[in-house]
Amino acid sequence: MEREPAAAEEPRSPGRRRRRRRRGDGRTRVVRSNLLPPPGVEDPAAGAAKGARRRRRGGAQHLADNRLKTTKYTLLSFLPKNLFEQFHRLANVYFVFIALLNFVPAVNAFQPGLALAPVLFILAVTAFKDLWEDYSRHRSDHEINHLGCLVFSREEKQYVNRFWKEIRVGDFVRLRCNEIIPADILLLSSSDPDGLCHIETANLDGETNLKRRQVVRGFSELVSEFNPLTFTSVIECEKPNNDLSRFRGCIIHDSGKKAGLYKENLLLRGCTIRNTEAVVGIVIYAGHETKALLNNSGPRYKRSQLERQMNCDVLWCVLLLVCMSLFSAVGHGLWVRRYQEKKSLFDVPESDGSSLSPVTAAVYSFLTMIIVLQVLIPISLYVSIEIVKVCQVYFIHQDVELYDEETDSQLQCRALNITEDLGQIQYIFSDKTGTLTENKMVFRRCTVSGIEYSHDANAQRLARYQEADSEEEEAVPRGGSLPQRGSIGSHQSVRVMHRTQSTKSHRRTGSRAEAKRASMLSKHTAFSSPMEKDITPDPKLLEKVNECDRCLATARPQERPLAHLSPELSDVFDFFIALTICNTVVVTSPDQPRQKVRVRFEVKSPVKTIEDFLRRFSPSRLTSGCSSIGSLTANKATHKSGSNFLSTLSNDSTLFKLEERLGQPAAAIASNGYSSGAASWGPEHTAQEQKLQREQERELRYEAESPDEAALVYAARAYNCALVDRLHDQVSVELPHLGRLTFELLHTLGFDSIRKRMSVVIRHPLTDEINVYTKGADSVVMDLLLPCSSDDARGRHQKKIRSKTQNYLNLYAVEGLRTLCIAKRVLSEEEYACWLQSHLEAESSLDNREELLFQSAIRLETNLHLLGATGIEDRLQDGVPETIAKLRQAGLQIWVLTGDKQETAINIAYACKLLDHDEEVITLNAESQEACAALLDQCLHYVQSRSPRSAPEKTAGNVSVGFSPLCPPSTSTTSGPSLSLVIDGRSLAYALEKNLEDKFLFLAKQCRSVLCCRSTPLQKSMVVKLVRSKLKAMTLAIVMASDFAVPRFRYLERLLIVHGHWCYSRLANMVLYFFYKNTMFVGLLFWFQFYCGFSASAMIDQWYLIFFNLLFSSLPQLVTGVLDKDVPADMLLTEPQLYKSGQNMEEYRPRTFWLNMADAAFQSLVCFFIPYLACYDSDTDVFTWGTPITAIALFTFLLHLGIETKTWTWLNWIACGFSILLFFTVALIYNASCATCYPPSNPYWTMQTLLGDPVFYLTCLIAPVAALLPRLFFKAVQGSLFPTQLQLGRQLAKRSPKKLIASKETFAQGHLPGEPRTESSEQKSISTSGHLSQDCTSQASWHGQRPACSPEASGEPSVVDMNVTLRENILLEGLSSQAPGSSMPRGAILEGCPGDSKMKCTSTSRAAPLSSIFNLPNFSSLNWISSLSLVSGLGSVLQFSRSSLQMDKQDSEFLPSPPQPDQDLCGLSGQGTDYF
Amino acid sequence: MKRTSKDGRCKLPDNTALKQQQLPAYRLQLSATGVLSGFFATGVFCLGVGIILILNAKSIKEIEIKYTEICGNCAKLREDATNFDKECTCSIPFYLSETMQGNVYMYYKLYGFYQNLYRYILSRSNSQLVGTDLKDVGNCAPFSKSHDGTPIAPCGAIANSIFNDTIILSYNLNSSIPIKVPMLRSGITWWTDKYVKFQNPSYINLSSAFAGTTKPPSWAKPVYELDEEDPGNNGFLNDDFIVWMRTAAFPTFKKLYRRLNRIQYFTEGLPAGNYSFNITYNFPVTRFRGEKSVVLSTLTWSGGSSLFLGLAYTVTGAVTWLASFSMMAVHLMLKDRKMLFIQQ
Repeated sequence: MEREPAAAEEPRSPGRRRRRRRRGDGRTRVVRSNLLPPPGVEDPAAGAAKGARRRRRGGAQHLADNRLKTTKYTLLSFLPKNLFEQFHRLANVYFVFIALLNFVPAVNAFQPGLALAPVLFILAVTAFKDLWEDYSRHRSDHEINHLGCLVFSREEKQYVNRFWKEIRVGDFVRLRCNEIIPADILLLSSSDPDGLCHIETANLDGETNLKRRQVVRGFSELVSEFNPLTFTSVIECEKPNNDLSRFRGCIIHDSGKKAGLYKENLLLRGCTIRNTEAVVGIVIYAGHETKALLNNSGPRYKRSQLERQMNCDVLWCVLLLVCMSLFSAVGHGLWVRRYQEKKSLFDVPESDGSSLSPVTAAVYSFLTMIIVLQVLIPISLYVSIEIVKVCQVYFIHQDVELYDEETDSQLQCRALNITEDLGQIQYIFSDKTGTLTENKMVFRRCTVSGIEYSHDANAQRLARYQEADSEEEEAVPRGGSLPQRGSIGSHQSVRVMHRTQSTKSHRRTGSRAEAKRASMLSKHTAFSSPMEKDITPDPKLLEKVNECDRCLATARPQERPLAHLSPELSDVFDFFIALTICNTVVVTSPDQPRQKVRVRFEVKSPVKTIEDFLRRFSPSRLTSGCSSIGSLTANKATHKSGSNFLSTLSNDSTLFKLEERLGQPAAAIASNGYSSGAASWGPEHTAQEQKLQREQERELRYEAESPDEAALVYAARAYNCALVDRLHDQVSVELPHLGRLTFELLHTLGFDSIRKRMSVVIRHPLTDEINVYTKGADSVVMDLLLPCSSDDARGRHQKKIRSKTQNYLNLYAVEGLRTLCIAKRVLSEEEYACWLQSHLEAESSLDNREELLFQSAIRLETNLHLLGATGIEDRLQDGVPETIAKLRQAGLQIWVLTGDKQETAINIAYACKLLDHDEEVITLNAESQEACAALLDQCLHYVQSRSPRSAPEKTAGNVSVGFSPLCPPSTSTTSGPSLSLVIDGRSLAYALEKNLEDKFLFLAKQCRSVLCCRSTPLQKSMVVKLVRSKLKAMTLAIVMASDFAVPRFRYLERLLIVHGHWCYSRLANMVLYFFYKNTMFVGLLFWFQFYCGFSASAMIDQWYLIFFNLLFSSLPQLVTGVLDKDVPADMLLTEPQLYKSGQNMEEYRPRTFWLNMADAAFQSLVCFFIPYLACYDSDTDVFTWGTPITAIALFTFLLHLGIETKTWTWLNWIACGFSILLFFTVALIYNASCATCYPPSNPYWTMQTLLGDPVFYLTCLIAPVAALLPRLFFKAVQGSLFPTQLQLGRQLAKRSPKKLIASKETFAQGHLPGEPRTESSEQKSISTSGHLSQDCTSQASWHGQRPACSPEASGEPSVVDMNVTLRENILLEGLSSQAPGSSMPRGAILEGCPGDSKMKCTSTSRAAPLSSIFNLPNFSSLNWISSLSLVSGLGSVLQFSRSSLQMDKQDSEFLPSPPQPDQDLCGLSGQGTDYF
Repeated sequence: MKRTSKDGRCKLPDNTALKQQQLPAYRLQLSATGVLSGFFATGVFCLGVGIILILNAKSIKEIEIKYTEICGNCAKLREDATNFDKECTCSIPFYLSETMQGNVYMYYKLYGFYQNLYRYILSRSNSQLVGTDLKDVGNCAPFSKSHDGTPIAPCGAIANSIFNDTIILSYNLNSSIPIKVPMLRSGITWWTDKYVKFQNPSYINLSSAFAGTTKPPSWAKPVYELDEEDPGNNGFLNDDFIVWMRTAAFPTFKKLYRRLNRIQYFTEGLPAGNYSFNITYNFPVTRFRGEKSVVLSTLTWSGGSSLFLGLAYTVTGAVTWLASFSMMAVHLMLKDRKMLFIQQ
């Protein structure tokens, strides 16, 4: 039931009818200001009174207030509710049923009260745990509810401090910078002149880049401060829902005008305001109706694989129990019949003197037997497992090795009940950016106008950082050109950033995380590290830039200054302008958030006021062109466009001077790296030094939505082209000679993953032309270039530049750099006006808006002129190659799903050892469904042709496995070169079709690693789902909303290989032990039935029977379950293949279960019959005989546990001692407590008597020994004859710890790739060799592409199809001409490198660039389906910051929201599917 | 590892052995030498104990005489419950070839009598037996009250089915005059039973103490007349009664009946010679196809005459040795194989 806001609830008001109607459709909610009198009440005084009343009443009745209540129970409801929940567990119901069965006199086996004891104990323990959890929830709720925030008060006519819980829908909330948003708020006013507001959504989705939010249209233009009292509009919006990426609604003004509301207008609870001084908004959804909380489905309960198996075995136990009881019942029936004819003396007739009929007796006996043998179903199993898991999680948390000092965060486990699954993972799905890499984008090299600038000095600088990083984290980077001060300062900021990031992993929004964040309000985020900031410019390019600058400075007064530049220099200039302004980077100073800019330039910058002045009076050329547009936006646009007129005025020069004068103090060429290095060639040496000094006072800081953008802006700054200011309608760039250039910003077409590019439309201050600068993925941008004819010289030159650029792009990709193309388009005024008109229409349209905007963007971003391309490096995280190598040795299949282009992905895959030079790489690039099917068939054929070797390999595995620790693991694990699969997004889309997915999976199963390039988030999740459902395999996906949060990728190694293995092996052994223990114990009772006429009599005192499992024998196994380490950690790390034991479920599989049960049966036989025969023909009574059996059972259990325990710490000793002590103490006290109590055993003085009896000791000694002899014997023989890998590992670790270290070293030398540095240089040589060969292919395919360059080519399948075939032919040509060796048609390339010398590998691995042929410029129409560029913010769906590497075992609970509307994502979240 | 906690490193986990799971631990390793020596030692120990136990058990003299068959006519008579008041005696002569040294105990032994039946065990009233509340017959159904509603004392199936044969051992010293072997009927119970768990109601006169109760249906005499010779051995404190009330563990069991009073001829034990059991046959066993016998036995520290414990030790020891030998063989074999693999 939709809860209507108060405003619509007033009875007898006109709103009533409407409300009814609303109830009828129930789709929307209406929000009004709380400050207004309720509708229908004209009299203000009466309205106020009623309003107050309404407020009171409304608060109680209808308003969903902002109070957070995540507790499950109240004081009163705790007991019934908790019990109700506990009885959802079938086991509990069963045990209570059994206990209640005891109250039936005919079948009772125990004293009814006593029988309830264990159940009550278990229930109480669980209830206590729940209570404690609920209490901590309550505390954190309380903390959050009492956070303060500014709410506009009607009474006081100003913002007053209120608690979060007091906020109601319709309230006006004012938020300051770095405050956490308390509810879902519609943004009405921002201190930002553009009406923008930046929020960090890390709390919601973990993304640390900033998202932009916009003031609702119609409010951004308000000149004066927003006054809530004047807000009279009505907001209609959707019902609360959990879709983070969607918000629709409209605001109805008094005038009846409507304006649409979009996701960009909504501030979501849990996010943080950044870079904006203050915002005001009206609360739309509060409390539990906020999107963040609706997404928070609470802690997840997942059942681990081991637990599922265990439950299955519990069912076996139930079956066994029923069988035993049935057997016993039949036996009893027969027995009764035997003695029926003559009344025997021991027969106990019914009260009326008649004897029970055999059948009735059998039925009673059956029920009683079920009670007596209930121990078989381990009542404490579930509780014990929970305890053990909690302890395991605790120890994982406590592991120093998993602690990341930099971010001050440890690994976090959020799902408490699946730790053991970590030991059984078979597939890892990982993203690349931010997961394998640091997500620190560093500008590496660029090519401008077809000329490559290698930035060697920059590469050296990066190398230095790497060294510095690896040496000591605390050390100040020793880069020669780095001034100390700057680097220290920024180092700190890095840390701050990480610290803020580290808290975001708390999933429960509105939980402790928020409270923690509140304490960090003053901290900043989204800063770049010095490594990203300090770029050493390439001297050649710098010289060219300076030349441009000088040239333009002198040519400026002339009519067309840019015409004086050569085309190349012009490109260089445009290139850097594009780098600087084609983004959404915000400039801030370090100590303050973005100021209320309006005020600032009124005070500080008179020029701006002149500009403003002029702007107001200057006639706009555009208004005439597009006068028909009457919307607010149009007003704004014309308003904007007016300003550019200024720069074209004839008094340019005077303005210029003014600007120059002002610009210099504000100049911020803040590049530390550059400052000293550039001194040698800058003629304005002294001037620059002065600037530097000034810049010390005010350092510029760039805050970008994505790190790529920031990297480019920093790069441009290194070339003296510094972004100094970005306002809503203008961008200012500072150049050394030209001074400050102010570009009028006409339009920004933001980045999205479908277009994979972004554009800005500006008016160039020098030429007064309207320019479009586009930055985007090469695959997209290259298709949008202006087709150039090869007739004239200029066209030929252009073509040459393009092909050269393409080559360099490929080269970058081979180097593993992220590539971006920069292009430009000059628009005529008329073109722009027309485009603007249609664009504004698209913007203002209510439905189909996204589609229209997309079309509009396509119209603008076409016929581009290529300027150049950049290569950005995203460094691999520390230890990634080693970790991946280890994980692969551990038998994990790793899938990397990335949006990168294929070459980049492949090279990074090689760099991080995902692909190995010793292995064959299958590359799947198909252009159509049929091609894909054919390719798959071929690959399968190929795989099968070599698979006969792999089939026996599995059976022979045991043999080779046995001795593998003695020899290098790599040779033992596989017999031949292993396979890897590389597939691009488009082929993946085909392969994931229903008819191909089986083949694809079969192929993928054969491969040790799979690399999916250019895949979209949707595809990523589909892949994970497919593998999970089809292969029924244990998968680990690295995602945001996750069960575990790992600070860094390399911790994954320890988490899985060490902790995962331990958890699995501990739990598996504990579960087995539980089953063993209970079976053995029940066996004792069962054998006794043969000697008591199957009358369900028990020789063990009922107290012992009931408390044995719960108290006497529980502690040691808990200690072992928590602390046992079957193989020490370093051994596990040196021999990762030991992990396979978990994957193959070696420790706990049906066979081991049944062997275990058989052993239990045997042991119970021994433990029963030794005392039986020893006491046969003696005068012992039942319980005096039963007590030693209990003791024997206890000793046997402890000894058995002792054999199974691999490491004995003092805790184990204490636990065992405690168990024995407890048993005897309890027995002695119990047996001395009451002479006539506890029927039927009436055990007075039994234990005391027994302790004086040598036979007691003699049986207690021999029975456990005899019982455990076979197990010990078989273990010993098996351990020496057919040792498992784990046993060998243990032996090795035990035998010689020193030797282990030595072998570790040799291992590291032998099997880990040498140093990363040498590796990359090797890569380089490969890539350059590949580069030449690629030259002509790219050209060849270039021809084929030309038809696609036409603007109409977008989205028409027929055209695409044609292009595909065309291109395929060319590809084949290229292939046959290039690589005669590989005769695979249709482009499947199998890299063969049969494990020979490494040299040969490198030569043949040229096939990597070769395979890139198939991925040459893609066609735009299909691209958006199949790929996701990583360039920017959208990529950040999976682009985590390095400190938030997280993973999810099965289903992620909610989806990270993309910053841009993304249809794929909408669909995805709608279905509630997972993102892996 | 060696990171120290610095300021601000609030989340740095404690580097303690427990939290880092680095507790010093003894690693149980089934190494060849360890296992072999362990097995050998266990074998030696078990064999030693076993042999001692066997020798010990061998030193015990025991004689058992089943008298169901011998007193067949009595057995037949008792099969019909209506003949309960007819007395039937039976004399069984036997020859003791060896002197039974030391304390000699006389047991009666029942075959196939299920004293451990679940419902049977329950059928007693401890509070009645301790003398506090004679009328408490809660668990005793159906032997709780007589037809007219008087509570039964002692109530319950156990008490009702008490073994009521009288066995008297006579020694034929000179093959003419049998001498009644002096037997003690005291000291055959657990001390705690006699003095804590079983108490008579506190009255001067036992018969008046049990007034208002009736005898169990199968009993010939009320509980306060169980022992006509010794008035102190009556009521709930009757030793035979107490012994019976301690329910046996198995359907075949023996219970201590008398012990030799080592006086006159019998200070050294039972001398060799001719003896006879004079049995008043009351207890019907043929109804449940049971048997009864009388047992004379001596005891040692290791219990009764059962050889089993000794055998168990010996067999375990032997098996352990066998196992260790086979393991040694495996171990030696493996040494060669290991060499082989290293060469490979």
